[in-house]
Formats: sequence, structure tokens, C-alpha cells
Amino acid sequence: MKAFLKTLFGDVRNIAAVGGVVAVAAMLTGIGHGAWAVVAMPVAALLAVGWLAER
Amino acid sequence: MDWAAFLPLFLTAGVEWVEAFTIVLAVSLTIGWGASLGAAASGLGTLAVLTAVTGGALSSGLNVHAIQFVIGVFLLLFGVRWMAKAIARQAGLKALHDEDAEFRETREKISGGDWFAAWLIAYKGTLMEGLEVWLIVVAFSLRSGAWIANGIAAVAALLVVFAAGLSARAPLRRVPENAIKFIVGSMIVSFGVFWTLEAMAGDVWPLGDWSLLALEAFFLVGGQALVPLLRGRRVREARA
Repeated sequence: MKAFLKTLFGDVRNIAAVGGVVAVAAMLTGIGHGAWAVVAMPVAALLAVGWLAER
Repeated sequence: MDWAAFLPLFLTAGVEWVEAFTIVLAVSLTIGWGASLGAAASGLGTLAVLTAVTGGALSSGLNVHAIQFVIGVFLLLFGVRWMAKAIARQAGLKALHDEDAEFRETREKISGGDWFAAWLIAYKGTLMEGLEVWLIVVAFSLRSGAWIANGIAAVAALLVVFAAGLSARAPLRRVPENAIKFIVGSMIVSFGVFWTLEAMAGDVWPLGDWSLLALEAFFLVGGQALVPLLRGRRVREARA
């Protein structure tokens, strides 16, 4: 079961990184700046990749 | 045929099947090819049932836009992990994935075990690697509805890998796994970012579906830019 869940979601860091990316997009969309999210979300995703790669 | 979905599906499935084949090959040396391939076939059968059940349930009566967000996040969880692993390996922060080492580890694990334990390792190995393929097939099929075409891409990769592996009867060490993992990871992250934001904000992508190409270029170039940065930091830390 643990292996199954890890396959689906990854580890805690992975979930935190993706949670951060989605939070950035949700925040910008929530305050009516969806167009900014088009730029911010890919940048946040790349930063998340870099952060995970370092760990 | 949706080639934009076929390629990432085929490559993702190919990488996962190489790992599954390595485990099956190692187990076959203990319990024989028949039993080992039987275990792999059982794992694939479980996957087929899973795909049929989830495919039927998910494609009947559910609004695709409503689950687009969930699928987008799943793709992000999956793709970000793959990209990070590939970049860490390229930067020298992690050892390159070694099919020979995995083969040896699996052999050691089952050397003292019984027949059923070895069978279970082949079954579980095929099932767990196949689960990642299943995730991608479900994610892409929910949007396009092309369950059969996407299933064919995954099965085609399986046939290619197993045919190559059976003819060589050796771990497929020549497959450039890290490069494939990086490219496919960047494709999956692109789809994940695109779908998640579209689900949250509507039609915000300035080029529509063509924005996917821009995203892919961004992640390919950005990911490669991270490699020397991470390598440089590692060198500085080693000197300090």
C-alpha cells in the first residue's frame, strides 16, 4: 500500500513542491490575475524541479 | 491518432517497461522464464483490469473539466519528480540509474528466498512500474477520450521493450533512460501546468493548445539551465 501511494503521489517533498506551484496559480487566479499565472506557474514549476533535484 | 499524446505515452511506458523487464529477467534466473513471465503477465492482467474499470467509471457521466484539475495535479506530481531525478543525475548529485545494479540487487534479494517470494517480486515489479504507465494513460485519455489509441501506445512500448529484452536476455543498459526521463518529464510537467491552470482560470493560455509547445521549450531549456547551476553549487559546497 505504501509503495502504491508513493507511486501515485511521490514523497512528502514532492507533494509540498507541487502544492506550492498550485498555490501560486490559485492565489493569482483568486485575486483576478489569471494572466500572470500563465507566467508565474511555469516558473514556479521549474523552481520546484530545481528544489527537488537538489535534495 | 493523437501524436502529441502518443509520443510521451510511448516513451514513458518504454522507460517503465525497461525497469519491469530488468526485474522479470533477474527473477527468471531463479524460477525460470515460464514462471517469471507468468508473474509479469499476472501483473499486466491486474493493470488491464484496473485500466478497464477506471476507464469505464471515469469516462461515463463525469465532466472532463471537473476532473481536469485533479489530473493536471497528478501529472505535475509525476512529471516534476521525473524531471528532478533526471536533472540531479545529469548534475552528478545522484548516481545514474543502473539497470545492471538493479538486476544484481533483485538477484540478491531472491537468492535465499522461496519460489513464491520470487514470483511475487516479478508480479509486484511489473505492477508497480505499470502503475505509472496506467496513470499517464488515464490522464491523457480523460482529456482526449482516446482510450484505445493511448492504450495501444503503452502496449506498443511494452512489446518493443520485451522483444528487445528477450532477444538480448540481458538488462537493457543501452537505453538512454536519463535523457528519456528528462524529456518525458518536461512534457508531462507542460501538460500538468497547462491543464491545472486551465481548470482553475479558464481560457487564459494566449496561444490556446499551441501554448503547450512554448511550455515544453521553456521546461527543456530551463531544466538544462538548472544542471550547471546545481553542479556548480555542489562543487562550491565540496570546496567549502
